[in-house]
Amino acid sequence: MNEELKKKYWERYLRLKHKGVKFYPDVVYKDLVVSFALFLLLVGLAAFVGVKPEPPVDPNDTSYIPRPEWYFLFLFEFLKFIPGELEWVGATVIPGLAILVLLLLPFLDKNPHRHWSKRKVGTGVMTAIVLAMVGLTIRAVVTTPPQEEGPVALSLPEQIALGQELYSIHCAECHGPDGEGGEIQGVEGLEGVVLKPINSQDEMYTRSDQTLYNIIAYGQQDLGMPPFGRAYGGELGPAEIKAIVTFMRYTWDDRVELPAEAQGGGMPTLGPDEVPSYEEHVEPLVKRYCVSCHRPGKKNNNYLMTSYDEVMHSGDHAPVIIPGDPDNSILIQLIQRHELDFSRPMPPTKALPDDVVDIFVRWVAAGAPQTAAEADQIEAQQGGGAAPATPQP
Amino acid sequence: MTDKPSRMQALYAWLDERLGLSTIYKVVLDRKVPKVNWWYTLGSATLFLFTMQVITGIFLTVYYVPTPDHAYDSVNYIMQDVSFGWLVRGIHHWGASFMVLFVFLHMLRVFYMGAYKYPRELTWVIGVLLFVLTLGMGFTGYLLPWNQRAYWATTVGTQIAGTPPIIGPWITRILRGGEEISALTLSRFFSLHIWMIPALMALLIAVHLYLVIRIGISNPPSKDE
Ligand code: HEC
Ligand code: HEC
Ligand code: HEM
Repeated sequence: MNEELKKKYWERYLRLKHKGVKFYPDVVYKDLVVSFALFLLLVGLAAFVGVKPEPPVDPNDTSYIPRPEWYFLFLFEFLKFIPGELEWVGATVIPGLAILVLLLLPFLDKNPHRHWSKRKVGTGVMTAIVLAMVGLTIRAVVTTPPQEEGPVALSLPEQIALGQELYSIHCAECHGPDGEGGEIQGVEGLEGVVLKPINSQDEMYTRSDQTLYNIIAYGQQDLGMPPFGRAYGGELGPAEIKAIVTFMRYTWDDRVELPAEAQGGGMPTLGPDEVPSYEEHVEPLVKRYCVSCHRPGKKNNNYLMTSYDEVMHSGDHAPVIIPGDPDNSILIQLIQRHELDFSRPMPPTKALPDDVVDIFVRWVAAGAPQTAAEADQIEAQQGGGAAPATPQP
Repeated sequence: MTDKPSRMQALYAWLDERLGLSTIYKVVLDRKVPKVNWWYTLGSATLFLFTMQVITGIFLTVYYVPTPDHAYDSVNYIMQDVSFGWLVRGIHHWGASFMVLFVFLHMLRVFYMGAYKYPRELTWVIGVLLFVLTLGMGFTGYLLPWNQRAYWATTVGTQIAGTPPIIGPWITRILRGGEEISALTLSRFFSLHIWMIPALMALLIAVHLYLVIRIGISNPPSKDE
């Protein structure tokens, strides 16, 4: 810019400045309005949206889809359009050059005009770049599959509940629903092996959390305990193993106290005239006592119990549940310890407590309702007894 | 009404004599500027966000522990047990995103209004440096919670930075403090995030604002400019 243009610029600028406003209060007022609005927005987001909980680091979980912060997504997406051997050009050279051009822009741009309409090339290029960035970001969000994440348990009661659930799924088939051990039945390869209890004072006093963690992660292969850590071919990550250890410690070690919120172990209670439903009463029992064997990949006559539909309809001798007729339902016969020609009593090792069997029987007798609302309806039709009337949704 | 100054006025006069408060007031606040529009609030909004990040960040360092064994649990502790920890972390988390967004929007407004031209070239150059440093804050801060998202994003990020031939592997090693993401990476990113980059940014922001005040804010250009 030559001296004459500079002089013209200053003349014009000073004129506008004198016709202008005071920085304080005119401009400061606007600035404060915007900052205050931003402040409210941030507090609102922190309070109502919060920060999404994430599982802790697991370097062995290669199924994790890496995802950068949203403002780097466009670059990630951009790299997908660049052939592999040139990736470094797209990843470092192009962004580096872009920053360099930005840095030197005032010296590269010799056009003395300021209004956008007199700088059509510059503003046009910038607009195209910004639109491309927005487009790439949207494309990245749309095309990245959502991460499948196990539940993230943060508070102690949450961790204990998660540990209980994982224990029931992964460990109960060998160690029993309460870690009591005994003779293994119905598990391929370990039929008849007798396990010592792992819920004993002896076990809890001699095994530290770290030892328990390692036993679960590495297994005890010479003794028949499979490894569960993802790093050793199992299916559990560090957070999940930690939850199991926390559950074991807080439920079996008499030196630590179970927090009040975690008491009851998530087991449902049923009033004398209440009609049980699958979701509220039966599912927690199934998870605790049956799912460890009745899930895919286990020996179980193809009877799976991971959802209501499976419980009702799967199995080699399906249906094992006849709604309204507990006496002829195979499932009820088995948990009442009848031996059938195709199956042992269930669960194979140890009879269920009487009150648990009672819930199953009453549930099937009432027609095996799935939701609490359905159970309430049945209860109302039966005259409901002393049960309080619950409003229908 | 007395002509004897009140105690407050006397105190102000005493301080003013030594600190030059009225000069600061005249130069910074009581100055004339061209009539400007709402787009001109983006810079001060960025400044506000930066200040919020600094304040909430300082509170977070009270409990945060930058080691692989404790980082995740300490963040969890801030969220679960520290009173208003969730609020402080929530503001810091969302503030980080908004900071990047607002720096970028501020840059766009300066660009479209041609405000980077004479005599504000240096203001712009420092601005671009601030932009890059803001992205650096985002990148280094992302690893600190030491969760899956953080770990894998940083793995890929540092790997991409290491793609150029010859010097690439060396860059990756510098960023990670070794071959793998480890305790060293975490402590490196931590010191960059809470100390080195913010200190540099504070310095550059001071110069940036000095230049804005010294030169005066540009006027929104009219069609013939
Ligand atoms: C396929 C059967 C099987 C499964 C499933 C299984 N274990 Fe084991 N577990 C064993 C066997 C066999 C042993 C070694 C025999 C023994 O010590 O009584 C063992 C040993 C252990 C021990 C060590 C006992 C000691 O102090 O030496 C612990 C603790 C343990 N298991 C916990 C678990 C947990 C927790 C799970 C679920 C994640 C689990 N196990 C799943 C079979 C199994
Ligand atoms: C230790 C593993 C194990 C546990 C725990 C277990 N089962 Fe079984 N279940 C089996 C096996 C194995 C079979 C296949 C028959 C056999 O081998 O006796 C089976 C078969 C069945 C069948 C017959 C399915 C058909 O179509 O033939 C029913 C019904 C059943 N189980 C219900 C239950 C219920 C209800 C529970 C929980 C209260 C339960 N089981 C817990 C291992 C288990
Ligand atoms: C931490 C980041 C930044 C802060 C806190 C900041 C702050 C400010 C403030 C308060 C102003 C006053 C005018 C206005 O608000 O528009 C301003 C002006 C300016 N900023 Fe920034 N800024 C930052 C980043 C940037 C970036 C990334 C650029 C460009 C690459 C930039 C270039 C400029 C220029 C050229 C001016 C003068 C504009 C004019 O006079 O119209 N700044 N900045």
